This record gives sequence, structure tokens and C-alpha cells, in this order.
Amino acid sequence: MKREVRFAEIAVVGGGPAGLCAALEAARAGARVVLLDRQDHLGGQLIKQTHRFFGSKSHRASQRGFKIAEALTREVASHPAVEVHTGATVFGFYEDGVLGVEQKGRVFYLKPARVIVATGAAERTLAFPNNDLPGIYGAGAVQTLVNVYGILPGRRVLMVGAGNIGVIVSYQLLQAGMEVAAIVEAAPVIGAYWVHAAKVRRAGVPIYTSHTIKEAYGKREVEGAVIWQLDGDGKPIPGTEKDLAVDTICLSVGLSPLIELLAQAGCRLAYVPELGGHVPLRDENLQTTVPGVYVAGDAAGVEEASAAMMEGALAGLHAAYSLGYGQQDYEARRAAIREQLEALRSGPVGEKIRRGLSKAIIQL
Amino acid sequence: MARTAEVVIIGGGIHGCSIAYHLAKCGVKNVLVVEKGFLASGGTGRSAAGFRHQFGTEVNIRLAAASIKKLERLAEELDYPYGIELFQGGYLMLAYSASQLEQLRKNASLQNRLVNAGTLILSPREIAELLPGLNLEGVVGGSFNPRDGHANPFHVTYAYARAARRLGVEIQTYTEVVEILHSTSRVLGVRTSRGEVIYAPVVVNAAGPHGGVVARMVGVDVPLYPERHQILVTEPVEMFIPCMVISFTHGTYFKQTPHGSILMGVGDPAGEVKDFNQRSSWQFLVDVATKMTFHLPALRRARVIRQWAGLYDMTPDSQAILGPVPGLDGFYLDIGWSGHGFQLGPIVGQIMAEMITGQEPAVDVSYFSIERFKTGQLIPEPACV
Repeated sequence: MKREVRFAEIAVVGGGPAGLCAALEAARAGARVVLLDRQDHLGGQLIKQTHRFFGSKSHRASQRGFKIAEALTREVASHPAVEVHTGATVFGFYEDGVLGVEQKGRVFYLKPARVIVATGAAERTLAFPNNDLPGIYGAGAVQTLVNVYGILPGRRVLMVGAGNIGVIVSYQLLQAGMEVAAIVEAAPVIGAYWVHAAKVRRAGVPIYTSHTIKEAYGKREVEGAVIWQLDGDGKPIPGTEKDLAVDTICLSVGLSPLIELLAQAGCRLAYVPELGGHVPLRDENLQTTVPGVYVAGDAAGVEEASAAMMEGALAGLHAAYSLGYGQQDYEARRAAIREQLEALRSGPVGEKIRRGLSKAIIQL
Repeated sequence: MARTAEVVIIGGGIHGCSIAYHLAKCGVKNVLVVEKGFLASGGTGRSAAGFRHQFGTEVNIRLAAASIKKLERLAEELDYPYGIELFQGGYLMLAYSASQLEQLRKNASLQNRLVNAGTLILSPREIAELLPGLNLEGVVGGSFNPRDGHANPFHVTYAYARAARRLGVEIQTYTEVVEILHSTSRVLGVRTSRGEVIYAPVVVNAAGPHGGVVARMVGVDVPLYPERHQILVTEPVEMFIPCMVISFTHGTYFKQTPHGSILMGVGDPAGEVKDFNQRSSWQFLVDVATKMTFHLPALRRARVIRQWAGLYDMTPDSQAILGPVPGLDGFYLDIGWSGHGFQLGPIVGQIMAEMITGQEPAVDVSYFSIERFKTGQLIPEPACV
């Protein structure tokens, strides 16, 4: 290994919706961008999203996620100011602002003037007896298996969690030919949009609210699961157990922002449950408390892909602006992106996010 | 709010917890440990936690022999159910020149004469038999003591803390001493970040690299500075390093933990920062990887799990500053261990308790008095990284 450091103007860590838009926005403003992603392809979680997006035309509504990923990837690949590194894991954010990158067995060090961390979020899991049996997956992992690789995880599934991901993945598993035994949801209400929930109900899938998984069982792999009801305090009610013969259990119990690099960088963090856990404090431009370090997308707070794209664009725009690029169009462009972002977060659906953001956004 | 204690100990590392336990065991009531982070969060938990008879000065050799005896039966003595991951596979010191081997030979004969340590001088062929994975390039010999080894520094500290609590010691974590109350001739107590004042006739400074800051609270200047040292740990691999290894030529040391991870460090006093920065550097990653794959070529394919940094509390002679401070009654120092403090913590805790309670210390530690810096008679410890 050599003690060599490459310099860069803007490094974007993560090539999902936030990172792609950050890279594009900064490059369009005139900055030179290095985009790093640990997968072999760009697009992040979009590549497994086969459902159509909501929202207005400017948010790429009614397009399917993987199509959005393809379009953004094409734009990034054809932009001469963006240097793309796939298969490149950023493993460290060091004291002098240097990123350590491992790419296909080789290591290099990068010192960017600005860094946009768009590392996304990780699936949470649940603690219950035998939760390590083969056949128990995160919902995101199942979506990847089915939608990207064309592999069914089993024949009959119990879905834990009735948020958007749990319900959408349930429907996709039905479409793919699996039987969905039930969806359980610990909250007293369904979290998903009604249009999604209605689809699975029409297909005959029971959704048990105020229910959770008690245990999984099976010798070498999942053979079944026991669910039970929760009382008003969230405590299980003995005697309400139902036994479901399933070979697959799918956990869709939320995401946690991947903030490790930001923590290493020394960014101040806050615990904001509405945003999925610990998130970095940042200003309106997504700049964290460490000057020159930005965050965007689920790493800034678990939301959804459209907002992630807007956040990425805002961070990319400001990072480029702070280096002297795009001075003329800056205000107009910034106002346009912010307007779209606010529209996305308006109304009762965005209430929780707005509450979370009010705790995470500070004046620097 | 004000209360009293017999002894307040500043620092919840191995030394602070060991002192607290030994004081309580001597019958001292009302001992309070104040730690600004969690137990072992400073140098203790960040160390590679080796222990060895193989020192080069009489005082350290005697301390090491007594400390290792305590470590060998520590879990039993403290009734600690989890074990301390004691691993006595020996400690190998590599020599890359005739003069280095001569120094190791001298150290070994001193160790064997003073405490019957059983330290051996090994030829390169014997080293190859002991550690087949080692690159022998340049190795002219080494010293080896089969009763040396390593332990888990968290378990050792928690073992003392648990036993101390059982004997009535109070430990406050996430609490910082912000002021030491004192008159011109003696300490009176401390004020903590909880806003509490604790009056106490004895205050012990076991604050590791922060020892200088703590001493200045009572106007005592100690020649102590923090020095960052870093460690890398790999994924668990098949056991192939049966002993701890050190090379003074390369500034390297390494061990394999019981579950298979390899811990490796490089001492680079010239390149390291001398302040309280405990962040990691990428330069260290490059250095340690280069040096470790030189020593252990098989590691070329091992994956790195993480790296971290900790602070040595360095003194001009790499020797501790121990005992009372003349002119300021009740103020005791246990600082300046310069990178070998973990292993001596068990016996030094006992010695500190003996000093505080007016007993004869089990080992003569008079050299470690702060007074030596006035006379300038320094005897540096030759065997450290």
C-alpha cells in the first residue's frame, strides 16, 4: 500500500437516488464529482422498486423505481464531470478529511473539498425466539431477491409490518406466486397508503393490526410462526396465539439511517425517532456541523426516494456553490428544488417527517 | 449538596478500579471512584492488554512478576464469573541486531535473577518452531517468557469494579471532577460535573493521559503528555499466533485474541500527535498493514474489521509517577505509565492502597516518586514501544 492521496472537488458516497441527484446537480453547476458506490451498479434501492411512484410529474411520478434508476444512471454516466466508481466501499472518514476507499481488493485514499454522504439506511430486525432460522428475511432483502434476481424465497410467507414497504412487498410476492398467510402490525392502524393496503386485502390477505410475532419455529429452517395480539399498552395478550404454517418470515419493521461515516467525521448527531434514529444535525442546505460535509437521503432521516432525490439535489447544488460554481443560477435553482421538497412533505402524510426535521435542522 | 468520602479516586480505568478494590479490601470505608466516561473507556480499554515479565528495570520487573501472579488467579480472587480471557501463551521479543539481542539477554538475566522469571533466549530456529507464520528475515534471536500473555482489559477492569462495589465502593461514571478543593498544604475534596462537592482527606489521581490536567487543578506540575497510539483488528482467523510478539525495531506488537481476531499496533512516537486527539489516521492503516504483512505474510488476505486510537500517558523516562506529592497532604499520583500501565494495574492498586493506609508497599516503588524530576536522576525503561 502506498501513502498517496488523490484530491477531488466533491465526493458523493452512495449512488442511490440521493447520491445520483447530488452528483448530477453538482456536475451541472460545473463542479467535478467523484461518485462512489459499494454495489456493482448505481441506483441503490431504486433498482428493486417495480411499483409506480406517487407525486407530481416533476418528482418522476407514475414512473417505476428501477426506471428512474436507469434514467439517472444514464445521465450520470454520460456527464463528463462525474467520475463513477462502483464496487467501491468507503470504509473510513479520517481525521484530516480523507476517505479510505476499498475497490475490488485495492485501497485508495481520497481527499475531497466537499463530501456528500448519501449512504441510505439499513433494515431493522426484531428480537423473538428463533429469529436466526433460515427463511427469515428483511423485506428489502426479499424485494431484491424477487425483483432483481428473480428468486422466490419460499411458498408461504408471514409479513411482519404493515407500513408501505411491508404491504407493497406482500403484494409483489402475491404477484410473483407466493401465498401471503397474513400481515401483522404492532400498531393499531395500518401504516401503508390505503391504495396499497386495499390491493392486498382484495387478494384475500388478512392484516392483523395490534398483533406481533411471538416466535418462529422449525428444525433446520422456518416451518411456522406464532403470532399474538397486543393490548393497548403494547403488551402481548396470552391466549390470543395463532399458529401459521409458513416457510418464510419477512420483517418490515423500519429502517435506521446509516450514519457511521458521519459519526466518524465528527458530525453532531441527534436521536430523532421520526427520522428513524440517530441523524446528523444539518442546516437547510443539508450541510452538517462539520464544514463541507453534507448528508442527503435516508442517511439524513428515513423518508422516501422522491424526497431523497430532492435532498441530494439541494446538497449537490450547495456544495458546488460553496466552491464557486453555479453562482448565477443558484438562488433560482435552490428555490425551485425547495419548493418541490416542501410540496412532497406537505399535508397530513408529511406531518411526522416535518416534526422530525424540526428537530434535526439547525442554523449553522 | 455536600458529602464526604474517605478516598476519592479520579479515573475508572484498571488503576482506579484496582486501587478502589484494594482500599476496600484493606477495610477503608466510603471510597468513591469518579470516571468521566464509562469504565475502561480510556487507555485501559484501548490497549492491546499484554502482560510480560520482560522489562529492563528492576522496579518494573518486580511489579510485573507480582502483577502476573495476581492476574493468574484474578477471576477466582475477585469471584468474577465471566473470566478475564487470560491467555498465557508467552510473549516473544524479537531482536534484529546483535546489540538488541544483547539488551534482551541483559534484561532476561536481570528478570531471572530478580524474580526467577524463567525468561529464555531463543535462536531464530527456535522462534520458527514457536511461530511458524513469522517472517524471520533479519531476526537474529529473541527473548521469550512462556508465562507472559494477554487478557481482556474490559473484563479485568470490570472484575475489579464489581468486587469493589461488593465491598461498598461507589463508582460514578459519566461524571467528571471539575475542581479539587485544597488548601496550601492539603487536599480537601472534589467538585464533580454533577454539581456535587465531596469532602475527602485523600484524592488519588489515576486519570491516565488526563493526569496532567488533574494535577494542575492543585497547582502540581507533572512532566506528562498524552501521545496517541493506534491499533488495528482483523476478522477472526484460525489460531496461528500462540504468543504475543513485539519488535522494537519496527515499533510493532501483535496478538491473537481467543476468538481469533488479530490485534496489531505500531508505536510511532515521531509521527503521532501529542494531544488528546483519539481519532484514527489512514496513515496508520497503511503503516500497520505494511509492517504486519512483513511480519506475518499470511495476513495479506485477512480482512480488517476496524482501527482505533488511544492515549499513552508519557513521561520523560517512560516510567510511572507514583505516590504522595510532598507538600500537599492527601494527594496521590498513579499516572505516567507510558503504555505499560494495564498489566501493572493489579499490583499497583495494591501498592497504592498500602501507601494510602500507611503500610509498607509490597514492592519498593520509591523510584517512581515525582521528586526524581527535581534531581534529574532518570532511569528510562528500555523495554517499551
